[in-house]
Amino acid sequence: MSADSPIAELGETPIVPAHVDAAFVSNEVSRVTEHRAPIGWWLVFGTALIALGILGLSVGYLIWNGIGSWGNNSPVAWAWDITNFVWWIGIGHAGTLISAVLFLFRQKWRTSINRFAEAMTIFAVICALLYPTIHVGRVWLLYWALPLPNQMSMWPNFKSPLLWDVFAVSTYFTVSLLFWYVGLLPDFATLRDRTKNLLRKKVYGALALGWRGSNRHWRNYERAYLILAALSTPLVLSVHSVVSFDFATSVIPGWHTTIFPPYFVAGAVFSGFAMVSTLMILCRQVFGLKDIMTMKHLELMNKIMLVTGSLVGYAYAMEFFVAWYSGNEYERYVFFVSRATGPYWWAYWTMVSCNVIAPQLFWFKRWRTSIPVMFAVSIIINIGMWFERFVIIVTSLHRDYLPSAWGMFSPTLIDIGCYIGSLGLFFTLFSLFIRWIPMIAMFEVKAALPGAQPSHHGAHDQEREGHGTLAAKEA
Amino acid sequence: MLGVPPMSTEKTPLNSGRVIWRSLEEKEDPSRLQAEACGSDVVKQHVGPQELFQLNRRKFMTLSGSIATLAGVEGCIRRPVENILPYTDMPEYVNPGVPSHYASVLNVAGEAVGILGTSREGRPTKLEGNPDHPTSRGATNLWVQSSILDLYDPERLQAPTTGGARSDFAAFDKFFSDKLNALRAKAGAGLYILTQPSNSPTYLRMRQLVVDKLPLSRIAVYSPAPQSAAREGARLALGAPAHAVYDFSRAKVVLALDSDFLGTEPGSVLANRQYSTARDMESSAGSPNRLYSVEPTLSITGSNADHRLRLPAQDVARYARALAAELAATGVELGQVAGAVRGSSVEGIPEPWIKAVARDLVKNRGQSLIVVGPRQPPALHALAHSLNRALGNSGVTVTYTEPVDAQEPENFDSLKNLVAVIEAGRVDTLLILGGNPAYDAPADLKFGDALKKIPTSIHFTSHLDETGSLTTWQVPRAHDLESWGDQQSTRGDYSVQQPLIAPLWGGRTDAEVLALVAGEPNWRAYNLVQGTVEKRGFRGELAWRRLLHTGIADTRFGAVLGTAPLRDAEIAAAVQKIGTGGPLTENTFEAVFTLDNKLYDGRYANNTWLLELPDPITRITWDNAALFAPSTAKKLGIANGDLVRITRGDVSVDIVAWLQPGVAAQSIILPLGWGRTAAGKNGNNKGFNVYPLRTLASPHFITGVTVAKLDKKYPISQTQDHDSMEGRPLAVDATLAEYKDTPNFPEYKTPDPAFGPLWKMPDYSQGEQWGMTIDLNVCTGCNTCAVACQAENNVPVVGKIEVARGREMHWLRIDRYYLGEDADEPEVAFQPIACQHCETAPCENVCPVAATAHSPEGLNDIAYNRCIGTRYCMNNCPYKVRRFNFLNFNEDVPETRQMQFNPSVTVRFRGVIEKCSYCVQRIEHAKIKARTEGRVRIRDGEVVSACAQACPTGAITFGNINDPNAVVTKARNRDRNYGLLAEIGTRPRTRFLGKIRNPNPELKTVKA
Repeated sequence: MSADSPIAELGETPIVPAHVDAAFVSNEVSRVTEHRAPIGWWLVFGTALIALGILGLSVGYLIWNGIGSWGNNSPVAWAWDITNFVWWIGIGHAGTLISAVLFLFRQKWRTSINRFAEAMTIFAVICALLYPTIHVGRVWLLYWALPLPNQMSMWPNFKSPLLWDVFAVSTYFTVSLLFWYVGLLPDFATLRDRTKNLLRKKVYGALALGWRGSNRHWRNYERAYLILAALSTPLVLSVHSVVSFDFATSVIPGWHTTIFPPYFVAGAVFSGFAMVSTLMILCRQVFGLKDIMTMKHLELMNKIMLVTGSLVGYAYAMEFFVAWYSGNEYERYVFFVSRATGPYWWAYWTMVSCNVIAPQLFWFKRWRTSIPVMFAVSIIINIGMWFERFVIIVTSLHRDYLPSAWGMFSPTLIDIGCYIGSLGLFFTLFSLFIRWIPMIAMFEVKAALPGAQPSHHGAHDQEREGHGTLAAKEA
Repeated sequence: MLGVPPMSTEKTPLNSGRVIWRSLEEKEDPSRLQAEACGSDVVKQHVGPQELFQLNRRKFMTLSGSIATLAGVEGCIRRPVENILPYTDMPEYVNPGVPSHYASVLNVAGEAVGILGTSREGRPTKLEGNPDHPTSRGATNLWVQSSILDLYDPERLQAPTTGGARSDFAAFDKFFSDKLNALRAKAGAGLYILTQPSNSPTYLRMRQLVVDKLPLSRIAVYSPAPQSAAREGARLALGAPAHAVYDFSRAKVVLALDSDFLGTEPGSVLANRQYSTARDMESSAGSPNRLYSVEPTLSITGSNADHRLRLPAQDVARYARALAAELAATGVELGQVAGAVRGSSVEGIPEPWIKAVARDLVKNRGQSLIVVGPRQPPALHALAHSLNRALGNSGVTVTYTEPVDAQEPENFDSLKNLVAVIEAGRVDTLLILGGNPAYDAPADLKFGDALKKIPTSIHFTSHLDETGSLTTWQVPRAHDLESWGDQQSTRGDYSVQQPLIAPLWGGRTDAEVLALVAGEPNWRAYNLVQGTVEKRGFRGELAWRRLLHTGIADTRFGAVLGTAPLRDAEIAAAVQKIGTGGPLTENTFEAVFTLDNKLYDGRYANNTWLLELPDPITRITWDNAALFAPSTAKKLGIANGDLVRITRGDVSVDIVAWLQPGVAAQSIILPLGWGRTAAGKNGNNKGFNVYPLRTLASPHFITGVTVAKLDKKYPISQTQDHDSMEGRPLAVDATLAEYKDTPNFPEYKTPDPAFGPLWKMPDYSQGEQWGMTIDLNVCTGCNTCAVACQAENNVPVVGKIEVARGREMHWLRIDRYYLGEDADEPEVAFQPIACQHCETAPCENVCPVAATAHSPEGLNDIAYNRCIGTRYCMNNCPYKVRRFNFLNFNEDVPETRQMQFNPSVTVRFRGVIEKCSYCVQRIEHAKIKARTEGRVRIRDGEVVSACAQACPTGAITFGNINDPNAVVTKARNRDRNYGLLAEIGTRPRTRFLGKIRNPNPELKTVKA
């Protein structure tokens, strides 16, 4: 019997509409890579390429002239660079969560969006990795942060949270990439098999690593996927926890906070889902995939956003409570004066409005299932989560212990260029992905279709009990 | 915690178990041999990562081997081109890498300051005070520290020029001697010489020689920052020209009347030292002095005062008269002066300020002191002399000496007469020896216009400045550090100024020019100085060498004038004329010209260290500003950064307005010395020139100016824009009574944490452990340490825009906070902040590449070469002392400027962090010296950080805190000690001693 069949008594319905069958899925998903791209794709890709060009120029200028090209200063030694880093890393969280955690929990609805989310994770992590790379003063010596043997007997400093970051993020990237690629094998094989174009055949054939869909292949695949899922699951928690250690282990009021790891993870899932939602809605419109990425998917995602958004709101409140309760005057200043009413009050209240108030719309089914509303909210959440990182980093730094050293931060054109540019990098990669790689895990969706569940026995029992759709069809 | 062993000390990574050894000793005990090789117990102290994480290389490599493929991108490093050029002929006294020191003397703000110049391979790189010289006692001030940069200014005049074209000395000499021959034939008729006031006996001898040889020539003496009021005042009181020499160390009560004796006045180095002696809790045996200050602007002196009365400059005399009257009424014998001071208006002066101060002065008869600033009229100086005499202070806290230059003419009259004769067409040739009168002369003299009318004018100058561009010839004038000369201090100490380097551009000194004019055959300064020295009784080679070696003559010149009765009648007559009016009416404003705390009268305008140095009070860099009392500004609708037009008659000046707590309500403070147009590329058009408002009749303050707000803003760069401590225990202070009640008062505000650090601490009880103590009680905020640090440590200058962005590089900054509720009546707290060298430094554990780490001697070191510039340490430093090279601030350093660089300190490239190193290069020099002398330990006082050495008040002490007898140990064991932000557990090595304020209980609550 299948544990993930819809439970009719609970009002559950199949995730995809009844007319969707295996062939439909293959055709619908593959045609995106096989036919000419619609104008919408060209618009997105073109814009993204321009932004990517801006990135190249900005980063070139930055590396040529030094970090002074940005607005960073003393006391705000980290600003947009690390804000963007944490933002992208946070976005990258949804992929693993959807792929690994939901896989382990047998949430079959994930199948329509997991490929997509994983790709987004990889591209987001690439964007994230850009910032720690270019934010150092001497980029050409960055490899010193890696534990490479050298004639000076110098190890990196294993006490430094930045080094933990190096390990955490690179591990995350590696595992995510492997996970994504392993998941792609059967679909690459599908594309290979469908095409008559020799070049496509060769390329997809090479990418498919000789996948033939034999029982043995499937067996190995399932095992590998399960192992990778199990490996990835702790990473969902660990990566952003480690990123939060960059702040939590410091002495700066506003950073030195024990709730940071769960707070950051919740925020990461929150922002990741928002980004997936944004992208899904776009792709759904552009490529007409409404039958595979259904309203049900979107609604479920909105529910998760509601939960994580409320978690984040709770964390915001806790920060204030702890600052008050601790009696630490520096911490009280950071929260009650600096954040709430200081020079950057607008950033703080933007963050609260976007992250806590906006998702509350999703309590109502009408708004939860309205495409324009959810698109707007997902964008607002993305903005809000960027501001969260900005608030944590800049407002904590700009007024810490000694008032004599207080200062302000204002971004330069290069700051803006590097940010816009990273969006360009992301969307360039993403556009290429949806154009050339099946953006939906075809075989997984097929496995979640009504009737796809293996049922070697007891089908009629199920039918009597009213559970088995496959059995019903067979009958 | 985590950590892995240094790879090279690993035992046989490939064949674990097989021991590789080079000798039998090593085989027996490899670690012992290694320890011996390192020559100390350092190895054992070193917290071996071995203890921390048992992970051998092989295991680690198995885990992370694939990462190694990322190696191999090292090709992109820019390495400087280095040439090693050995001496072919080794100079006798030059040891590469070992600096030599030469005693000399500098004239700073009108006073001789004995210095020791540090010379490295023939290049002077740093100036220190001469410990044997009474006016410096080893200390300096910011102008001494920064003059080394002026020496190397690439924009100095490099050859004689005429008519806008470069000439050379041969051509000039020919022209000059022809000219002089012609003038000599006329006994000097038509020859005028404009010089600056000088304390140099050689210069004065030459001046006299010119007068003797060319009787028809005339000499004028002008400086925009004259001491003539003080001289006239003394002359008035004593009947003969005299210097008043103060001894603040013996004064229990000091009343400063518009006087900035700790700042811009002559002899501030010594004054600071003496003031701190009387202020210091230990040397004053628990009863520190009390300083009252009455002034229009918040000066360095005023900001240190226990009580400060802000009064317009014109009312200071009125206050003095009222005080004198009160003193006379309480029985102080003032003779005829008592009658003269009676009946002046006391409107606007709080009564306790008269009564309580008078009582305090009387109570401290014989150990009080009233000083008057150079802005105030001579009569007020005379009145102060009279009061000091009556209070029994004469001969104790104030003595009078015969001035070096008894014939010095009155400053402004002198220039006025010169302009008059120019206008009359009687000047054929004018020699201007230094100075920049076209810029700084009183505006109504129109000196620049007059200058154009002279057929031959020769400006001996360091730069082609505003004056030089109007003269027919411009000739390089030698810098004091590259020429022979001499100086006599106001106390009468005689020193020879010996060059530390040959003139970079072949300049002439003033004495040389005068000697040439007089036709002296041996006109070289060396011969002239030797002549003076011989005339002063130092005969023979030995005496000459001794003079050069010690930098100070063992006999004092300048006779101490006796305690003959003062000329009461003259004083009374003069005093009757001052302070007669009432207070300024509501909307009348007074403009007060102040010497700038950094640029002085404008002579240091091209010095980037001083330009970028934040003003000690306003914290403004790269600009000056018209200072307004906050309440006045509010009334006028002026905010920080507004441009305002200050008009007097038909002259007006546009200047940026700044709200300065502590400024008198009706005073507008206009710092001089800015807005230069021909200072050089650094100094040009920085700030605003207020000299146009200055007239001959009222060169110091003028009443009746009008202020109009312009509809424009002007950006100002400050290094500190938040003035409040927000109630945090940072610069901790207490009153004397509170201190007596709770001597360890800072401990209650910023306690050291009761629990220890999480990790096992290294053993800091052994060997040399460096520490610093800063006594906030005697720190006057004078900025000397900040410049000294910049000079010692090759700290770059970043410019106004980068300062505005918060990227200044100063390793040592002086935080200035205001206390109190009333924005107009602030109490001021200064706090020098450099790296605190925390024992559990938050910056160290966050560095991913371990570029910053602790030395076994407790130093928080940075390996610049290792730094990749993540700036995490900068974020995590609670004191925000770490500086980051956001851009390449050392790009295109001029060649001459490079000569100043301290070769013992790395010049940092962009992208790395830097900060105070406790002058580690000095520690290492001392260690090398000790080791070569066969000593294991460095003696106390052998290592002094640049800031501690320069500090004129001795507020900063540095040394080995493991030495129980070291000065620093004694200082840090005092009851008032605390660690800044100690409660967060950083265990700072720098400790502060809380400031003690000594308010007069009778005056406590009085505010003007």
